[in-house]
Amino acid sequence: MNKGVHSFALLVASATFFLIIAGALVTSHDAGLATPDWPLSNGQVFPKMVGNLFWEHGHRLVATSVGLLTIGLVIYLFLAEKRRWVRRLGLFALFAVIAQGLLGGLTVKLMLPLAVSSAHATLAQLFFCTTVSLAVFTSRGWIESRAVIEEKGTVAVRYLCVIALATIFLQLILGATLRHATTWDLPPDRDLLFAHIAGATAVTVVLGMVVLTVFRRHREESFLTRPAALALGLLGIQILLGVAAYVARLASPDDPQPLNPMVGITVAHVACGALVFATTILLTLRAFRILRSCQASLNLARSQAA
Amino acid sequence: MFTEQTRVWLVVTVVLSLLALASACGKKEETATDTGGAATGKTYTAKGNEGSVTGSISFNGAPPAPKKIDTSADPVCGQRNPNLATEDTVVTNGKLANAFVYIKDGTLADGTKIGEYTFAVPGEAAALDQNGCHYRPHVMGLMTNQKVRITNSDPTQHNIHPTPKNNPEWNQTQPNGAPPIEKTFARAEVLIPVKCNQHPWMKAYIGVLKHPFYGVSAEDGTYTIKGVPAGTYTVAAWREGGATGTEKTMSVTVPVSGSGTADFAFGEAATATGRPGLEMMPALEFPMAGRH
Repeated sequence: MNKGVHSFALLVASATFFLIIAGALVTSHDAGLATPDWPLSNGQVFPKMVGNLFWEHGHRLVATSVGLLTIGLVIYLFLAEKRRWVRRLGLFALFAVIAQGLLGGLTVKLMLPLAVSSAHATLAQLFFCTTVSLAVFTSRGWIESRAVIEEKGTVAVRYLCVIALATIFLQLILGATLRHATTWDLPPDRDLLFAHIAGATAVTVVLGMVVLTVFRRHREESFLTRPAALALGLLGIQILLGVAAYVARLASPDDPQPLNPMVGITVAHVACGALVFATTILLTLRAFRILRSCQASLNLARSQAA
Repeated sequence: MFTEQTRVWLVVTVVLSLLALASACGKKEETATDTGGAATGKTYTAKGNEGSVTGSISFNGAPPAPKKIDTSADPVCGQRNPNLATEDTVVTNGKLANAFVYIKDGTLADGTKIGEYTFAVPGEAAALDQNGCHYRPHVMGLMTNQKVRITNSDPTQHNIHPTPKNNPEWNQTQPNGAPPIEKTFARAEVLIPVKCNQHPWMKAYIGVLKHPFYGVSAEDGTYTIKGVPAGTYTVAAWREGGATGTEKTMSVTVPVSGSGTADFAFGEAATATGRPGLEMMPALEFPMAGRH
């Protein structure tokens, strides 16, 4: 294990989380078109950061920093990481961050079409997922040898985790679409809102089942129970933030401009959603790391004996 | 250092990135050439016996108090206009300003529909200024293909961003001291919201019509639409609020060289319904013929 690589991967994942917050601030302030050009802002690298240009250009600066950090991480991986698949994942992260930057440019050039804006917000979560995975794969907890645990029960925890991950990702897409469908001065789209509420219910049920199963089957395994408990706690906060965001958004069309309570709550909702996603990724990867089906364990033992 | 497969992926990534960049940079602002049918009819020639539509806009009930705008994001705005407040409902003595009143439809005295005519587009551009970090005027009218001349009188930068449904959308920065921007809208549309994405409280509305028969209520709620041919018309009054605003209509007869009156009322009843009001209201007054 290379401690430096892991620390750098953690730095990139943390910076990406900060970037998601910066992006959410742009949406909540309706600042996406504060400048009509891209990649420069009003033809300048460092324009006067007044009004909503502060949020839009600030987002671009943070995004540029994350892009540079990702390039640094990829170089670091190719120099110090022996596992080829981890290096490839690093390359995928680089590809994703470049595509994300271009999508961001398209949102400005095409004046925020819903499909492009939603794709930009969704790819942000996928990129975050990749950087979190890189941080997990380079961590000591992943690399050091661990006893393999046989899965008991009809449905494997690993597959439940994958279902939860997919459900959360779909919910993130719905949330991104809902946020970008209308601006602060219009009421939220009703159909999308109902879909997002239904998605929240589905995430609660699926993630609840995952956490319950982890605690019932692997109570002693803190490697799994810690992220499971954290995911559940974050989900609870996320639901409360969702209700608060709904109330704040309902009131916002009467405001002369996006005001801090609405901005703060909606941005916190986006950030917490990303954290729920990241924690579930951690749980899923760890489950795949230490859990095996009975048959797989048998095959492993046979191959080792051979 | 790289395997062949990795190199292929790298090349694909770079090519896709360049393609996307080229498509983004190559997109030019759409230019509307469709006249929306404005130039297909017979041209109206003034006969000298045209009349007018006049009236006033009332507001029933207690109007919402204007909200003070927090301009701290751009200190120049606070210095320039320390009392900046919302302008969506400006009521003085029960009269509503900034209502857009226009002839929506109707028939001239000779039986032809007003929509069958085309009208000369004024050569003079309509003015829209950014002054004190708000748009002046707040509501205005234009004819299709008439120029709107946008100026920035503020010592700060703005961007002008109309969000029409029937015309091409555009977004342009106007730094302080920059020359005026002149634009036209080719298709009729009531009304086009205009915003400034740098200062999100800044809003204006532009009504674009194929004819020149429109007006905006002044602070005392009154308006006048001049040069209207004799006939019977559906006159509409629109005020902002909600997603699309609220519109009311009424039938008005304009006699030869006379004046028709259309008084509208907004407020509690309109707000209570919460939908664009398209209900017909009886004309309140039919003025005398022959009045000049």
